[in-house]
Amino acid sequence: MTGKPYRLTEGGSRIDRNSRMTFSFDGRDVQGFAGDTVASAVLASGQKIFGRSFKYHRPRGVVGLGSEEMNALIGVGADARHEPNLRATQVEIFGGMVAESQNRWPSLTYDMGAINSKLSRFIPGGFYYKTFKWPQAFWKHVYEPIIRRAAGLGRAATGCDPDTYEHMHLHCDVLVAGGGLAGILAAEAAAKAGARVVLIDENPVLGGIADLTAGMINGECAADWLKPTADALQMMPNMRVLSRTTVVGHYHHNYLMAHERVGDHDPALLAAGAPRQRKWKIRAKRVIMATGAIERPIAFANNDRPNIMLASAARGLISRYGVSPGTQGIVFTNNDDAYLTAFALQKAGVNVQIVDSRARPDGDLVKRAQEEGIPVSLSSVISAVAGTQAVRAVKIAAYRKGQGRVITERKVDCDFIAMSGGWNPALHLWAHNGGKIRFDDSLQSFRPDTHPDAITAVGAANGTMSVAETISEAQAAGEVAAKSVLKKAKAAKPAKIEVKEPKRGALEPLWFAPATGHYNEGNKHFIDFQNDVTVADLELAQREGYESVEHTKRYTTLGMATDQGKTSNLNGLGVLAEATGKTIPEIGVTTFRPPYTPYSFGAIAGALTNDLFLPVRRTAVFQWHTDQGATWEPVGQWRRAYTYTGVGEEKHQSITREILSVRNKVGLLDASTLGKIEIKGPDAAEFLDRIYTNTFSTLKVGRCRYGLMMNELGFLSDDGVTVRLGEDHFLMHTTSGGADRIAAWLEEWLQTEWTQYKVFVTPVTEQWSQFALAGPQAREVLEKLEPDFEITNEAFPHMSFKIGKLGGFPVRVYRISFSGELSYEIAAPAGYGLSLWQAIMEAGAEFGIGPYGTEALHVLRAEKGYIVIGDETDGTTTPDDVGMAGMVSKKKTDFLGKRSLEQSELKRDGRKQLVGLLTEEPNDILPDGAHAVADLKDKPPMKMIGHVTSSYMSPSLGRSIAMALIENGRARMGETIAFPLAGGKVMKAKIIGTVFYDKDGGRINA
Amino acid sequence: MLLVTCPVCHASGDETDFHFGGQAHVARPATSNPEGISDEQQREYLFTRINPKGLHFERVRCDRGCGKWFHAARDTMTMEFKAFYGITELPPDHVIKQAKGAWAEYFTMRMKKQK
Amino acid sequence: MLEPRFESALALRGEPTTTYVSMREITTRGMIDLRGLTSDRKFMAAAKAVLGFDLPKAPRTSNSFGDVKVLWLSPDQWLVLCAREKAPSLAAEFAKATENTHALAVDVSDMRSIIRIEGEGSREVMMKGCSLDFTDADFTPGYVRRVRFAEIAALFTIVDASTIDLYVFRSYANYAWDFLLKAARKGSEVGLFNGR
Repeated sequence: MTGKPYRLTEGGSRIDRNSRMTFSFDGRDVQGFAGDTVASAVLASGQKIFGRSFKYHRPRGVVGLGSEEMNALIGVGADARHEPNLRATQVEIFGGMVAESQNRWPSLTYDMGAINSKLSRFIPGGFYYKTFKWPQAFWKHVYEPIIRRAAGLGRAATGCDPDTYEHMHLHCDVLVAGGGLAGILAAEAAAKAGARVVLIDENPVLGGIADLTAGMINGECAADWLKPTADALQMMPNMRVLSRTTVVGHYHHNYLMAHERVGDHDPALLAAGAPRQRKWKIRAKRVIMATGAIERPIAFANNDRPNIMLASAARGLISRYGVSPGTQGIVFTNNDDAYLTAFALQKAGVNVQIVDSRARPDGDLVKRAQEEGIPVSLSSVISAVAGTQAVRAVKIAAYRKGQGRVITERKVDCDFIAMSGGWNPALHLWAHNGGKIRFDDSLQSFRPDTHPDAITAVGAANGTMSVAETISEAQAAGEVAAKSVLKKAKAAKPAKIEVKEPKRGALEPLWFAPATGHYNEGNKHFIDFQNDVTVADLELAQREGYESVEHTKRYTTLGMATDQGKTSNLNGLGVLAEATGKTIPEIGVTTFRPPYTPYSFGAIAGALTNDLFLPVRRTAVFQWHTDQGATWEPVGQWRRAYTYTGVGEEKHQSITREILSVRNKVGLLDASTLGKIEIKGPDAAEFLDRIYTNTFSTLKVGRCRYGLMMNELGFLSDDGVTVRLGEDHFLMHTTSGGADRIAAWLEEWLQTEWTQYKVFVTPVTEQWSQFALAGPQAREVLEKLEPDFEITNEAFPHMSFKIGKLGGFPVRVYRISFSGELSYEIAAPAGYGLSLWQAIMEAGAEFGIGPYGTEALHVLRAEKGYIVIGDETDGTTTPDDVGMAGMVSKKKTDFLGKRSLEQSELKRDGRKQLVGLLTEEPNDILPDGAHAVADLKDKPPMKMIGHVTSSYMSPSLGRSIAMALIENGRARMGETIAFPLAGGKVMKAKIIGTVFYDKDGGRINA
Repeated sequence: MLLVTCPVCHASGDETDFHFGGQAHVARPATSNPEGISDEQQREYLFTRINPKGLHFERVRCDRGCGKWFHAARDTMTMEFKAFYGITELPPDHVIKQAKGAWAEYFTMRMKKQK
Repeated sequence: MLEPRFESALALRGEPTTTYVSMREITTRGMIDLRGLTSDRKFMAAAKAVLGFDLPKAPRTSNSFGDVKVLWLSPDQWLVLCAREKAPSLAAEFAKATENTHALAVDVSDMRSIIRIEGEGSREVMMKGCSLDFTDADFTPGYVRRVRFAEIAALFTIVDASTIDLYVFRSYANYAWDFLLKAARKGSEVGLFNGR
């Protein structure tokens, strides 16, 4: 060891020793090389502790090599760019990067929360459920805030994320998840056969762990042999390789979600406009899962101390980053693979010895260890670890399978441990969408079985651990996948591949290594490092009756949180099996859920943030409204002008002004958002009779009629004015919010029920700008607009329409009113909308015309007792409930909802009926939704008899008005009812009819 | 994300380009005979639906495509579509044969009526 | 005084320089929504008489002659494209020619806004907003399809290998424009397969 204590002088396939960079970790400058991860660079600097554990706040270091890392979770980026809970083993460093550890206070080496560790005998599995149950009120105000502060992962970013994110769709013949040996060869085979292939890998470079694998391919080591193939893939025209991308989920019909970290590793890319991350939504005809395998830790006493890592991680640190975990290492294993780590360490000049729990391992690698003079202790386990912030020594004990207690042991000094309990196929993706798995005795793990989708697993992900078998399996799978989707696949000419690999001895399961002293006395055997779940916790859950593995999971939190049990799942099952005397398949597995690794909310939202979060619909006059100081009311996705507040005006003042302008002079409303649907055909009239409660076949051409619509339940769903353009041709108006729904509703009945009707339905809402010109002087304004048709009351009466011209504008003018005043709705093609609006404003100037918004409109209509669907109705309201039984035809034999009106519930006495209300105090405005009670009492409960549906201050009447749905309301005319409000206030109001203004309708017909 | 194929315009696309319309083959009693519908019949029509584990029949609209309604036969366990067929049609015979329980009874009844 | 002045939905938006495809609004195109049954010979003949060519019958195709083009929307619906000023008279012609058969022709020239997306990356940009495969062999010039784009309903036609016309309802034009500005931002190029 020279230079930095843990950086070796040689080696490091991933790093560029000529490119040094400095980043900060917990405020300390750390040197690294291009290609380093935060884990490798910080370890190289001599620091072992990366964070504190979730529950006990024990110091923790790096365990894994890549996405399986569960301990070394860090936060990266400052302020608004901060992202928590990233795996230090995956985060690539760049100059100026800011990273920090998590879950520690005030510092990593001295952590207040570590007191939990001393108290740990009082925090067993299920602790939260047992302790914080009572009293109930304590949970919200005392327990939860404390627990949330003490336990937890990283912190959220502060401020609005300045980076952009996006989504991208892609379609392919074959998607290969995982770019290791198996994935590369499967992708190559499929692409050579002519298929369009997407190869996705989570690492910055392809190759998986070929560089950590034993065996020679055609005389080269596996990684060297593989590299030209991987490079060639990048050039194939029918190939897309996505690196730094994780397939996070597999969904129905081979729909996959992948998360690409586009610019995380390189701020220059972000500066050039690249999105920080991209979410891919991919539809694949076939999927090949080549996700490899994840090494298992071993449950031995205090197996969570910093610098106890997976054997593959230790091997990878040396070979990829030229970093040694220490100078004196122990490799603890139950299988042959970890011997490779011992060889790598020895080669790097690190002292190492092997502790193998097996009695008679007979693989080639074991023999080689003896040949190379590496000390091997067979039938042995690690029974104790000395050191809290770093490993100082271990005790090695003799072990016989099934042994519970340590009999003899000896102490060995060391500063790190590399452990391997075997390998689990990474079958998360397989399980996301209904794939079945089965237990494999030789692996002592689960492997893929059947799957309803077109997906195949190859290589280690399929439990195939031999290099030779992986190659043939992967190539065959690629070819089969291509053939299954291509009409004509190109014939493959597989090159001759010769593999030499060591014969491997059998693995022997080791779910629990006996410890020095009484077990669980200060020595914890961790199963789930991220959630601080120990063997003792699992056994306790069993004793307390949580027999089902799903219950155990929830009780102990085993396999929950961000790593979804990558390293803990099987070890947990092994412990449960031994505790219950069952086999692992009998215990069963819990569900792996997407995502495979967590990904950011930014990537989930993609481009749809801020203004793009929700589409906003604009009328042709939108900009004019904006310029005139309009505030907005969202109606569906439309923005409608709510009121136009002038300089020095409050909203209630502008609303009053707008209302009085319509009542006394003339006003103009942008009603373009109203739904408009053309309906034409020989059966159009009959069809409308089926749709509306009232009759339209009797409507004369040139006239308009207000109609009510019910759904099949007999409840009101929409209303509006429909006009008859011709004998077989109608134009229907719907509510603004109902336009799309009603157009679809009409299509649905035509296509699915009355298929014999010859009727076409064409929505034309957006073709027209439509403005309501309303007020006693509306006719004078219209006259000034140079109509080419007669507009006298006789020639153009209420509920009729004209098609013609106003000056040069092609228009349709409907004499209909929602304000109770003389009113014309003028429609022109939307491209002329703005200029028509301006022309009307100009023509009306001498009459004092003013624009009015939706709030004024609502007051105007409420003064007239007109209902609004969605205010006076709530989806359970019948025509009779709102006093419109007269609009329900008695003559028509069938229309939508008719039969349901006969159901007993809809006919019963005591239904809520619409009434008008006048508060005793004219200036009291009842709150919308206020409930009326039968008998006023000091405090609830009180029997409620109905609620306010609309309530306003009416400038026309100079007092407040309201409408309400009240039980038996129409029989209560003149009665005064009480509305108890928040804060003990009570308003009383007299029940009257719903029409407050111009009861005889003289103004409309003027 | 289901992959749906419209039998009218033969376009395949994500389920988000389509609109799900509930259970298929629900007859509206009032269309054939508006008089004499019992409360029970009306209630059945409005509220009673088949909810099988396995093969199921549903209505779908090619909402963002040709706009036409059609039928789909879907296995609610595996999410496999067994058939897409016209809105006025019954499923293909080989799919009807796979129907179980309430659906098998329904198709038997329909077949009898047709004869 | 009462002179109508046409203003398109995107009149206030300039052509962007920040995108890796070019984007502009097409405002000169008239549109007629034509309904009739493909199976109705009288209707098909009447339409042909007005157009001078057959309505396209195959899903997602279009036919054209001169400056008139017809897009297939459904087995009983087409969108007829023509010069904007010609649309009212052409709609009237359809109405007259189909007087005695079941049909509906409506001038909807102002109902949709058209955004032309042009450049090497046009298909890729579309794939940021909708789930279709724009590398599909069927997506040749003349191909037309209604889709869900970003969060809204849209219609597109393939004009040529690197040009797409995107039709959105007028009220959503600014939303679609803003989405495209972001999706096609320079520096966010994706590339699809290495071959294209």
